[in-house]
Amino acid sequence: MDKKHIYLDNCITTQPAPEVIEAMLPYLREKFWFPGSFISTGEAINADLERYKEIVAGSLNAKPSEIHFTNGGTLANNIAIKGLLEQHSGKGKHIICSIVDYPDILTNAAFFEEAGFEVTYLSPDQEAFIDLDELKEAIRPDTILFMTTAVNHVVGTIQPLKKIEQILRAADHHIFFHVDACQGYGKIPLDMKELDIDTMSISAHKIHGPQGIGALYLRQGTKIGQYVHGIARFDDLQTGGLNFASIAGFAKAVELQFSDLKGNISRLRDLSNYLLESIQQKIPYVELNGPLGEGRAPHNMNVTFDYIEGEAITMMMDMHGITVATGSACASEGLKANYVLMAIGKTFVQSHGSMKFTVGRYNTREEIDYTVDVIAEIVKELRSRSPLFHENK
Amino acid sequence: MQYSQKVLDHFMHPHNVGKIDYPDAVATEGSPACGDQVTVYIKVNPESLVIEDAKFQSYGCASNIATASIITDLAIGKTIEQAKNITWRDAMDALDGLPPVKVHCSVLAADTLRKAITKFEIDKGLIEPPKFNKDTIVEELRKIIYPKVGEDIVTLKMVKYVGFQDGEVLVDLEIPSFDQYRENLAEEIREHLAGFPEVKNVQITM
Repeated sequence: MDKKHIYLDNCITTQPAPEVIEAMLPYLREKFWFPGSFISTGEAINADLERYKEIVAGSLNAKPSEIHFTNGGTLANNIAIKGLLEQHSGKGKHIICSIVDYPDILTNAAFFEEAGFEVTYLSPDQEAFIDLDELKEAIRPDTILFMTTAVNHVVGTIQPLKKIEQILRAADHHIFFHVDACQGYGKIPLDMKELDIDTMSISAHKIHGPQGIGALYLRQGTKIGQYVHGIARFDDLQTGGLNFASIAGFAKAVELQFSDLKGNISRLRDLSNYLLESIQQKIPYVELNGPLGEGRAPHNMNVTFDYIEGEAITMMMDMHGITVATGSACASEGLKANYVLMAIGKTFVQSHGSMKFTVGRYNTREEIDYTVDVIAEIVKELRSRSPLFHENK
Repeated sequence: MQYSQKVLDHFMHPHNVGKIDYPDAVATEGSPACGDQVTVYIKVNPESLVIEDAKFQSYGCASNIATASIITDLAIGKTIEQAKNITWRDAMDALDGLPPVKVHCSVLAADTLRKAITKFEIDKGLIEPPKFNKDTIVEELRKIIYPKVGEDIVTLKMVKYVGFQDGEVLVDLEIPSFDQYRENLAEEIREHLAGFPEVKNVQITM
């Protein structure tokens, strides 16, 4: 087989669009200035910054003043969570999230647990949806914050944000609602006029923008404490400098993704469905992890190849020039099976044998065809080496 | 963290994969739940006690497959006495090293080969089945690798105390409370000792 490079790990990061890089270049070359008042260089950047904020705000149906650029999704999550809890902990110290949330949420929850807050971790169902009845029951008079991950980073589950919002807003007091939307932004509609969310994080490099830039949506009227102290150059919440070329690239990526959001979403869904169908057609003993259909983000496909282990599959795919991810413990730094798969009731073996394929704008059907041919061969080869396969056959 | 070219070669084109139809001994170590499992088959010349053929099957990652490939290579042509002395360090050296977090894979392969040889020896009446005592436990603990540095926990002096009485095993480990491998090590110790019928309960203190 001829060697090409096929990138199917678009949930971790995506290739920046050529238009994005073009949009960044002027700020790396001649327009390297920082924002400032009265002088032409600074005012030029001020004006551009406003324009880029409008573009990003437009993608969420939000106001430009509600958008705060940050050095990425994780920082946006931290500014929001720490800012909310610092500002409002006098009203209660109970937090609700779910055990399948993104590590940004879980590590923050653990941090606040240490600091004397109480956290209720909702358990997911077999498709990683949180249980809405469990959420209703978990709400207490001192519940101050609910956090969730809009699109699950492992199995692509889209949490029912509207239904969650209705439950939270039916409570007797205000429960702050924070959403990590880094995986969902540009993949599912997120309308801030439709959804009563207090804070939300988004990221550029998941939608073919540059790495190291994201934004925090902070609903007008929601007060949060200052988390990053310093000089307010680009933003009053993420103080200090920001890579302005990245902001320009981010705005361009947003334009590209949102100029035809429906079309982009359906293209991703077609590709990932095609991948799943091809795998199921050509390879026996395959299981889908997570939901199928509208409840799943359009770019994500997570499957388990029975009787074999994912790190070996990943390595062999890499040798064939295909980049994919696995939930195997052997591929993780801490040698642990993927916590999301374990939480939705998969066994160690199912988690070890799981492969996560996430498609992006630049993947083609031809690439999917080639990839599935390669996996079919790899799976056959590894099963021929596996003692489990012979035992079970 | 990278694999050596030798590891990749043995992973992509492993030697001695498969079964031996009428083996003189077969041993399986590990379990799918721990992430890897190796089965080793050996064919031994009854006169010279030379391992004439060895094959393996592996459920596991790239380094698991590569170490099983190299360990069977090393065993073939050696007498069982010589082959018994093949250690995971030999396998690792023959592969030009392994990333620390992957060293435990080489232990599994070496251990499975040794188990197959022991089975053969017991089967042929060459040795008595080994008696279980405190030394057996320490020997087992020598097979448990601390993934951060790729060395076993006995050599690293992480094992502070081993006790055995009436089926009760007590292991005292020295490991920081924030160490990300704490649970892994405790789990692995339990799994290793659970294979012995003499062990009724394992208590691990840290």
